[in-house]
Amino acid sequence: MQDSGSEHTLSTEALDLPARQTRLQEFWAQLRKNRLALIGLVIFVLFFIVAVTGMVLTTGTSPQLDSSLVRLQEKLRPPLSRPNLKSLQADEVPVLGIYLLGTDELGRDVFARMLQGAWVSLTVGFVAVGIAVLIGIILGGLSGYYGHSPVRVAQVFIAVLVVLVVTNWSRLSFKTLAVLISITVALAVFLLFSRKKEFGGPLFLLNTQLFSVDMLITGLIDIMLCFPSFFLILTVVALLPASIYNIMIVIGLTSWMGAARFVRAEFLSLREQDFVTAARALGVSDWRIIFRHMVPNAIAPVLVSATIGIAGAILTEAGLSFLGFGVPPPHATWGNILSDGKNYLFDAPWLTIIPGVAILVVVLSFNLFGEGLRDILNPKLRERH
Amino acid sequence: MTPDPLLIVKDLKVYFDTDQGMAKAVDGVSFRVGQGETVCLVGESGCGKTVSALSILGLLPQPPAQIAGGKVFFKGRDLLELEQKDLREVRGREISMVFQEPMTSLNPVFTIGHQIEEVITTHEGVDQIESRQRIIRLLNDVGIASPEERMQDYPHNLSGGQRQRVMIAMALACSPELIIADEPTTALDVTIQAQILNLFKELQEDRGMAILQITHDLSVVAGVADRIYVMYAGIMVEEGSVWQIFREPCHPYTMGLLESLPGRRAKGQDLATIPGAVPDPANKPPGCPFHPRCRYVQESCRVQFPEMCDFSDRHLARCPIMYAKRKVQSA
Ligand SMILES: Nc1ncnc2c1ncn2[C@@H]1O[C@H](COP(=O)(O)OP(=O)(O)OP(=O)(O)O)[C@@H](O)[C@H]1O
Ligand SMILES: [Mg+2]
Repeated sequence: MQDSGSEHTLSTEALDLPARQTRLQEFWAQLRKNRLALIGLVIFVLFFIVAVTGMVLTTGTSPQLDSSLVRLQEKLRPPLSRPNLKSLQADEVPVLGIYLLGTDELGRDVFARMLQGAWVSLTVGFVAVGIAVLIGIILGGLSGYYGHSPVRVAQVFIAVLVVLVVTNWSRLSFKTLAVLISITVALAVFLLFSRKKEFGGPLFLLNTQLFSVDMLITGLIDIMLCFPSFFLILTVVALLPASIYNIMIVIGLTSWMGAARFVRAEFLSLREQDFVTAARALGVSDWRIIFRHMVPNAIAPVLVSATIGIAGAILTEAGLSFLGFGVPPPHATWGNILSDGKNYLFDAPWLTIIPGVAILVVVLSFNLFGEGLRDILNPKLRERH
Repeated sequence: MTPDPLLIVKDLKVYFDTDQGMAKAVDGVSFRVGQGETVCLVGESGCGKTVSALSILGLLPQPPAQIAGGKVFFKGRDLLELEQKDLREVRGREISMVFQEPMTSLNPVFTIGHQIEEVITTHEGVDQIESRQRIIRLLNDVGIASPEERMQDYPHNLSGGQRQRVMIAMALACSPELIIADEPTTALDVTIQAQILNLFKELQEDRGMAILQITHDLSVVAGVADRIYVMYAGIMVEEGSVWQIFREPCHPYTMGLLESLPGRRAKGQDLATIPGAVPDPANKPPGCPFHPRCRYVQESCRVQFPEMCDFSDRHLARCPIMYAKRKVQSA
């Protein structure tokens, strides 16, 4: 500290300088101008708070039921009705003292179930879209950045062998395993050294280029897009044991194609940008260029499609639960509250209206926020406001 | 007497595999840059200057491009033979590059301080305070006022000239021995151009690095260069000192370039131009590539690829016709 005297003081002073408008402040200023997006954000934050408090408040293992109620008419009570204090224990009474949103056909508190369902919807939305965006960024990025690189015959062999070994790990005998692994290693070594020197004869075949990385990934995207995704999800969910985690993963695995296409298109254009060449010219590594230079530039459209995707995932989960393929009872989700409620549409309309409106509002708020985000993050669209 | 050459490019050939066939963008280019020298590579748009520069640093994407031959020695090592990892060490640390378009050469989503810091931390393990001090000093050196505040700015807050200064600061960050400046002033207006060229000159006096200036504008070259190489359609057509090139150009193409400079003609006269256009690199004429536009063209030019002829002390031009003429004149 002492040895570099005056210069040091200069730089610490500089560190304390008031920052100019940071990106976050700029973002906030833009957001405030965009009413609809702001409304979307507010609802989104409210929803988030509700979901989190809901998770904290509804921690019991089983629903609190009023054993004195026998007939359906008594169980289905409209919103704001009071619980039967005579037959309930003190800790069985809802926290608010009333059934804010009524009770369902089993006499369960709909408000509590909605809170619990909010958490499910939130996690399904975020985890599914998180998986989708992650896959999308990795695959889209690979095909956008390394698109021209050829895939060689030897690489395909290696991939097939690795899959064989991994999937049949326990079934194969030690001898076959050893043979397969040594072939894989030999091929990898061959690939490493065959770049520069020419190999003659049959070995040359191994080095032939089959197709490009880009072709492989866009092919995969196109194949995935061919399946009507809701039915794909239905099929997979029907085969797998019903659980909330399987649903998240399945929704995520079947909805990454949009993000992948976005990222690929962005990367194709970003790769040719001068600042990428400039960064490479100054010795920045490929990985750093992809993740520190290109991803932040490509992230805006992905973020927008992700917010809209969250809405889509919540809808998909609700749809699955409505059809009975979703999260199994006793877990409450907005979809299965809605689906259970439809049997009592005329006796207890709140059972369908409440989750229906909730889904509508949340999905709408995500869409509004997503569109606002697009305008804010894209400086060219920003000018129009 | 002459310093040891830092960079020797020998017969570099870069071809592009295009739909129209093999585009020979760079077809046998040789030049050398000595320690602390400023060497200029001059030529019309599309003659392969950028491609030559990018291939020195291995920056060309290598399916469309292919290095068809040649050697690039930098301090005795052939850069074309280096592994990617070693090449990255060279980039930015020993050779760095400044590009033509300051508007797009900076990443729009990061502050300029961050971008300079990245170059420093990529090559050297320095702590935050030290790298901060260095950034401030660098920005100061390239003539940016109040660097402490400016380093918080995003590229869109800066003018073109300021951005180019930032690019130069990034290139200087690890004190490279050679800076390749690919038309660093083309996108700027004339006063800023002069400032940037002066900046290069001052920095060179302070730090003693070599500069390879690439430009299409001979008037830019005059004040700064130690040596000039003139390129045409992927080949070197003439090389010599500033004095030699400007006083007695030997290649008809260089003569044409000089005549087309504004200010060379009497007032009121039309500017001279070279008739015709640069040949398509995928479809070059046989013989001398310049012959369709040459006013001294002879039969042999259409069939015979010309040799480099030694006109005087290290002044070479690829034109046997002119060589024969000069011989006759001086005899
Ligand atoms: N990626 C590419 N694919 C095919 N051809 C290319 C590619 N890049 C450059 N070329 C060709 O190489 C030739 C030389 O281009 P280069 O960019 O080196 O010109 P330049 O001398 O730098 O011109 P300018 O002064 O306009 O920058 C051009 O004819 C161009 O068509
Ligand atoms: Mg160029």
